Amino acid sequence: MRPELMQYNYDWMMAKTLEAAARFPLGTPTETRLALKYMPYYQSIADTFYTAGDPGMQLLNLLSEYYTNILKAHESGKKIAATTFCQSPAIFYAMDVVPVTFEVLTALGGLVWKRGLFDYMDYCCEIGMTETSCSSQRGAMGAYLAGLGEEIDFVVCDTPGVCDTNANAFSFAAAYLDKPFFQLNYPSSLGDARSEQYHLDDYKALVSFLENHTGQKLDYDRLASILTAVEEQDNLIAELEDMFMLEPVPLPPIFNLALYTGRFTFCGHPAFTRLLTSMRDWAWKRAKQGCSGLKSGQENLRVYMCYIDHYTVDMNFWNYLDERGIANVGSILTRNFRDFNTYTREFEGAGYSLDVSSKDAMLNSIAQLNSRLPMVRSIRGPYDQPNMWLEETLAITKLCRARCVIYNGTPGCRNTWGMVKPFAREIENQGYPVHIMYGDAFDDRVESWESTRERLDEFFQVRGLL
Amino acid sequence: MTVVAGCDVGSLTSKTVIMRSGRILGNAIIKSKPNPVESAQTVMQAALAACGINMADILCCIGTGYGRNNIPFVSDVKSEISCHGKGAQWLLPSARTVIDIGGQDCKTIRIDNAGQVVRFAANDKCASGTGRFLEVMSGVLDISVDELGNLSARATAPVTLASNCTVWAQADVIKFVNSGCPLADIGAGINTAMAKRVAILANSVKPESDIIMTGGVAKNKGVVSTLEKLLGHQIKKSRKADPQIAGAIGAALFALETINSR
Amino acid sequence: MQAFLNAANQIENHAIKAWKQRGKMIVGYTCSHMPPEILHAAGILPVRLRGIQTEGMEIGDAYFGPFICSFPKCLLQQAGMGQYAFLDGVVIIPGCDAMRRLDECWRKAGNDHENILPGWFDYLDVPHKSEGHGLRWYQRELRNFLTRIEQYFGVTVTDDALHESIDTYNRGRQLLQSLLEFRKLDNTVVSGHDVFAASVAASVLPREEFNRQIEKWLTELAIKKPLAGNTKRLMVVGSISDEIDLFHLIESESQALVVAENLCFGVRQAGGQIATNGDPITALASHYLTTSVCPRMFGKYKERLALLKETIARYQVQGVILQNIRFCDLHGSENGLFERDLEAIGIPCLRIEREYGPLTETGRIKLRIDAFLENID
Repeated sequence: MRPELMQYNYDWMMAKTLEAAARFPLGTPTETRLALKYMPYYQSIADTFYTAGDPGMQLLNLLSEYYTNILKAHESGKKIAATTFCQSPAIFYAMDVVPVTFEVLTALGGLVWKRGLFDYMDYCCEIGMTETSCSSQRGAMGAYLAGLGEEIDFVVCDTPGVCDTNANAFSFAAAYLDKPFFQLNYPSSLGDARSEQYHLDDYKALVSFLENHTGQKLDYDRLASILTAVEEQDNLIAELEDMFMLEPVPLPPIFNLALYTGRFTFCGHPAFTRLLTSMRDWAWKRAKQGCSGLKSGQENLRVYMCYIDHYTVDMNFWNYLDERGIANVGSILTRNFRDFNTYTREFEGAGYSLDVSSKDAMLNSIAQLNSRLPMVRSIRGPYDQPNMWLEETLAITKLCRARCVIYNGTPGCRNTWGMVKPFAREIENQGYPVHIMYGDAFDDRVESWESTRERLDEFFQVRGLL
Repeated sequence: MTVVAGCDVGSLTSKTVIMRSGRILGNAIIKSKPNPVESAQTVMQAALAACGINMADILCCIGTGYGRNNIPFVSDVKSEISCHGKGAQWLLPSARTVIDIGGQDCKTIRIDNAGQVVRFAANDKCASGTGRFLEVMSGVLDISVDELGNLSARATAPVTLASNCTVWAQADVIKFVNSGCPLADIGAGINTAMAKRVAILANSVKPESDIIMTGGVAKNKGVVSTLEKLLGHQIKKSRKADPQIAGAIGAALFALETINSR
Repeated sequence: MQAFLNAANQIENHAIKAWKQRGKMIVGYTCSHMPPEILHAAGILPVRLRGIQTEGMEIGDAYFGPFICSFPKCLLQQAGMGQYAFLDGVVIIPGCDAMRRLDECWRKAGNDHENILPGWFDYLDVPHKSEGHGLRWYQRELRNFLTRIEQYFGVTVTDDALHESIDTYNRGRQLLQSLLEFRKLDNTVVSGHDVFAASVAASVLPREEFNRQIEKWLTELAIKKPLAGNTKRLMVVGSISDEIDLFHLIESESQALVVAENLCFGVRQAGGQIATNGDPITALASHYLTTSVCPRMFGKYKERLALLKETIARYQVQGVILQNIRFCDLHGSENGLFERDLEAIGIPCLRIEREYGPLTETGRIKLRIDAFLENID
């Protein structure tokens, strides 16, 4: 890592950048346009948010609030937990814990900074992590391990058995910083009674851990109100998810990002409800008019990203989709598997429900909700088993009428690289062309954006899709 | 007058240094032959010829490099890491960190004031971060490796390359060439990609000043200046001798130690 | 000793051949968190799967992606080449992500290649935590596992049979523990290579034969003179290895001796007697989930570091080789922490990243080891 980067606290830099970005359009359009001319570095990324209307502004506000919460956590008597995107933050908000979600912050850094978070990723390697570890944690994590962020109080993850490189990053961070560590551990199957019981038992242990390290007991009234907010959010999400099935898709590519970023950072929190409401209203207008969410208004192709999107750098991938007229019907990160969602209904045991009638019911609800987050839901077991990755991918591809499937991940992703080849072959056998991207969603030193784009274009052309 | 020698048989080049009274009497560098015994004999003969002495004049010779166990005329062998440490300290007495980028691997070594190795790290597995990377890239640009080093200074907008894989970086370079990107910007991108790989390795041994580079890549100004920025330390040059022979110098110094301890 | 070398150097060793000739069953398994006593009690030979002797990788690479550790790829390659044709069954354990994907990859390869899938293909879901509900889950898994064995192989396994098997395995553990005594500073009579060959053999030989052989060997060692020379005492830690050639590489032509290791196939498994009264499954579960932890258990770094320090003190270790297979992030990153913490207490460490399989890059590894040894006093 370059020595000069040690001069600035990373989270402070990002917080101030996003805060300023969120305030910018509060001036008149002329003021905003003129001022942006003096910030060529941020112009294109700012445009992506500003031209997405009110939802774009809500998303910016949400991201700004997320970072500001981190900066203010300790002075307002809250603890900071380093955690992963597949650990729902709802429980943290119920217990005055502020989450620092490494993968979200890495993605955000890559989107906002043209140079990406490579220095921080390399710093993790300089202090002992393997360079083959997933880049998604290593970006933001490098900053925190270098002492360039607020002090982490404890580490919580739920990926052992699902994504070892993820769990390993968090246990490394805890060992390196000498902080308490807790893991939720998921069995290899989903939807059977024994697994559901294990989810609950494990979640109770998580609550005990949080109570010990925050010094406060879980307030079930507060949890009830958060779960009630989740219920409202789930209903909004269900509407938005249904819209992915419309032709054309009325949601612009960035709504996908907004949907899951909001869920990973503010599940159960008013900021996410505001964002979802704005997105739903905006998208409904376009849906009623039968308009595509793409800037050109022309939908040429529908793709399903069976794993994750591509975040490096500078919104390259999102702009590419817009340019080519490609509607992204979502990724593994998009769907929340609430029991009343269209795609959930046909799979037994796939979804979760919410019940706030008693303490036990609440704990069970949140435990089952947590176990349906991306990866921990469908990557936990062999891909061809019920409720696992193949079934999920084919169901959504069919429902959303995607014409092809694209796999994008990182070289660190041991769990998917361990079987993506036979997985892709089975999807091809169902009639869907599959493109495997060999780049890194967070680090374009692995495969430059120019190469990634060229290979995507080649795939679409050769398979007669565009 | 104690005459000693060090013979470094590497996979790409072989070097011999003959020293007397702590100074270099003569040296030679050749391209390695497939047979390490032949390489050792040829380069030794060349060095002997350069200083006008015979093999019998040499009191002790230490071997190092990949082919060290095959050199017939050495009395002992030492790892090239130890030899590079020793040799670098001779080249620059204030050196405490050595970055050696050879044709096929890359090593970073921390040494004490006697040239003893404190810790080291070496890259494994692939060509990126080694001299081979630069050879491949300069081949694509149809320039010499030496010319590649001079490009960084003339660049205005260095490109970003896939630096984790030489093969993919090569594809990137071809694309940039085809899209009319200025040669200097591509060259700078190549040097930067190389420097970044090396910087990770260097930082893992917590480098201390003074830092010296040995090995052929030390002559590439572009890599060196980028590396300086990444490490936050100046990288000093060796003026006493060609940094490429640091390993052989170290081996000769170990030979002197052997004599003195007898 | 020859029996151990024979077992360590080839997958289908003499004992496996003899077992098959008697018409008995063999089941392969992939992880140290599976109690072989359960299979033993059912009259089945438990054989730890290994990837040595792999030539080529065309089958491994057809199913596993490129960014995967070479160990499971070698296992799949060997299976695909028919080297595991002697297995009647296999149980896959989710040791780590790459190893758990051996389940799908082997099954899919079985669709494409004839006769490479054993008749019984099972999965034992070992949790990543060893307390409370994790341990209870594991106990239930073992009971279900036993039931499936009984159903498929048509046997009944009583508690008495399990107790007997535990007793037999206890004996082996005790003997391995005695073997370790011969590595101590005042009486180092055995090379790391030979000890490792024995511990690898322990995972593939019929337990009774293993116990006999090691008992015999211990009496020979008791009268051996300590190994001469100014040897440097090393410990090997890290990713899975069953490659005795690696130990040979470290010890040969250098003044080094491996006097301790913390490896999956190594004598990390030794010690610890399991109770032979009470419920056998409870006893087995407790031992196999809580002792000999590896980084897959996450969050146990302090315990692992303490174990290394204790081992270093007991065997007077002078330097630690921290090796990992490329793409093994669990051991690779943990090695980074070990290096920091062991060097802080004055123990020199060498980190090596390598490939698993026939040791094609011995030159590079040897170079680093030589340099490391030159700097140990």
